[in-house]
Amino acid sequence: MRPIETRYARSGDVRIAYQVVGQGSFDLVFVPGFISNLDLQWEDEGYSRLLKRLSTFSRLILFDKRGTGLSDRVDNRHLPSLETRMDDVRAVMDATGSGRAAILGASEGAPMAMLFAATYPERTRALVLYGGYAHFHKWVMPPERLEAFIETAETAWGTGATLPNFAPGRVDDTHFAQWWARFERLSAGPTAAATLARMNAGIDVRGILSAISAPTLLIHRRNDARVDPEASRFLARKIHGARLIEIPGRDHPIWTGDVDRVADLIEECLTGQPAVADTERVLAALLVTRIFDTAKLGDRMWSQRSQRFQETWRLLVGRHGGRIAGTHGELMISRFDGPGRAIRCAAALRDAAQQVGVASAQGVHVGEIEMRGQPVGLTARVTMQLATHAGHGDILASRLVAELAKGSGLRFIDAGRISLDELGEPLPVVQATSEQHLEPACRHRPKAPEPATLTARESEVVNLIADGMSNAAIAAELRLSEHTVKRHVANILLKLDLPSRAAAAAFSARHTGPDGP
Amino acid sequence: MLTKTQTVDGAAIKKAIEGRDGKMLSSFYNDDALVRVIDRNNPPSKPREIRGRAAITTFWDDICSRAMTHKVDATIAEGDNLAFTQACVYPDGTKVFCAAMLELKNGRIARQTVVQAWDE
Repeated sequence: MRPIETRYARSGDVRIAYQVVGQGSFDLVFVPGFISNLDLQWEDEGYSRLLKRLSTFSRLILFDKRGTGLSDRVDNRHLPSLETRMDDVRAVMDATGSGRAAILGASEGAPMAMLFAATYPERTRALVLYGGYAHFHKWVMPPERLEAFIETAETAWGTGATLPNFAPGRVDDTHFAQWWARFERLSAGPTAAATLARMNAGIDVRGILSAISAPTLLIHRRNDARVDPEASRFLARKIHGARLIEIPGRDHPIWTGDVDRVADLIEECLTGQPAVADTERVLAALLVTRIFDTAKLGDRMWSQRSQRFQETWRLLVGRHGGRIAGTHGELMISRFDGPGRAIRCAAALRDAAQQVGVASAQGVHVGEIEMRGQPVGLTARVTMQLATHAGHGDILASRLVAELAKGSGLRFIDAGRISLDELGEPLPVVQATSEQHLEPACRHRPKAPEPATLTARESEVVNLIADGMSNAAIAAELRLSEHTVKRHVANILLKLDLPSRAAAAAFSARHTGPDGP
Repeated sequence: MLTKTQTVDGAAIKKAIEGRDGKMLSSFYNDDALVRVIDRNNPPSKPREIRGRAAITTFWDDICSRAMTHKVDATIAEGDNLAFTQACVYPDGTKVFCAAMLELKNGRIARQTVVQAWDE
């Protein structure tokens, strides 16, 4: 596929950046939350997964609100009202030829989407609101907390300091935290961010809810860290015919957590047909890597080393053909197509942990897992328990792993059986031994040189040496140049691994048989 | 009052598509018609299927709501089979090309297969 083209729609005297992806028969406009950046969103795994899913059944129209992302910057002291920004949706729809579209509003995008649906009912095919709200102070944060948030945004903008407010579950994910910091920097400047936050705090669209006539789906995560789920319950009561679905999870951004669940709900609502799972369950090898502190490093040093190890972990998993499947605190889960790769990656990770100066313990198991989302089933839980049982530096695997890895050159030693909570009988386990042990413990003694390795001419030469003849005499005898004889002698000593002419003479004497040496 | 129904032929389809007349297009189908769409996201082994007049009406309403131009060319008719190609352009220049094959039953479309390719 060619790179996604970014175009600009004119809305008044401001240009709004937009992208169109997908070939569906109806249009779906995504109204993003607080900040956005059209280019950067494709670089995050969850974000691009969500957008790709949505674009499989619709023509998905994405844009950055004025003042954010790739759209024109505006006067920071006079950021546009909600109505003006809503009008940007219309401008983008006009530019893309979209007469009528389903509108998906996420977070702060939800009030904008509601305002659009109430203002342009004829252009709203359906409304989907994710983690939305009608009144900021009531359901997002009261005025006193807002000031603290704005202060953080102003003083530490661009460092990712706002992440805990939105996705506390991803704070320990260094890779994501770094992406979030870039997301802040590339979506808005610090002044614009603070002004936007103040402006969003003024959002109150409770008065227009009864004017929404489009079929409406509300999705809210039950423990949403940013927006109280009560916000969507209120919308469900006030928007005629709205349907609310609460799903598990606490991370607020629509592209974090179980994005497939969100995409499934949207697809089913807009197409009237349940989403067809791309693949259900696949056989995979899971590797759970646990790191811990044995050296009493102290929190600060530990945090640095743990972070460094996690970066290495991502790198090594990729290098061994695996996929990052998620993290649970200091448990890191990766997925491989075969057990051999998982074990080899585990061995590399053990070495890396030693270099970084943290202790590691790892578990490997094979089983069926859900293709989509983080592995959460029995296979994942068993692997995590294996990692918990593994000792410092150990790679503990189920015996099944060893059986499947036969012929791979990997070595395992029996480690008995361990009882796991969910398994009826104890699980036979093995320990993967270091691959270095696969090398021979010592070099084999070189095989005694065989006379047959000499050519016929070399055999003649060695016999004449044994007779005590000089190179010149041998040359005369065999009608060769002295130089050639010298070369033959050198080759003979090399082939027989002998130090001198005398040794060659002795060799010849030892091996003389009816057919010569 | 007698209701005059439009005969479904190449000319009528061309007029309805080029005029973005979703209501007219929907009226061309039998109640239990099936439209299959094959494109990048809906491969031949798993085409998108739109069954029944209600779903087909929504499908055409969605497509006709787009402010774009359609041009129907090369209509071929043979017995109860009809085929045509269609070139479409969005206001931003994005082009879509479709080839459609239709089977008629009792003068209405019973089955239609659309293969489409998009500028992306």
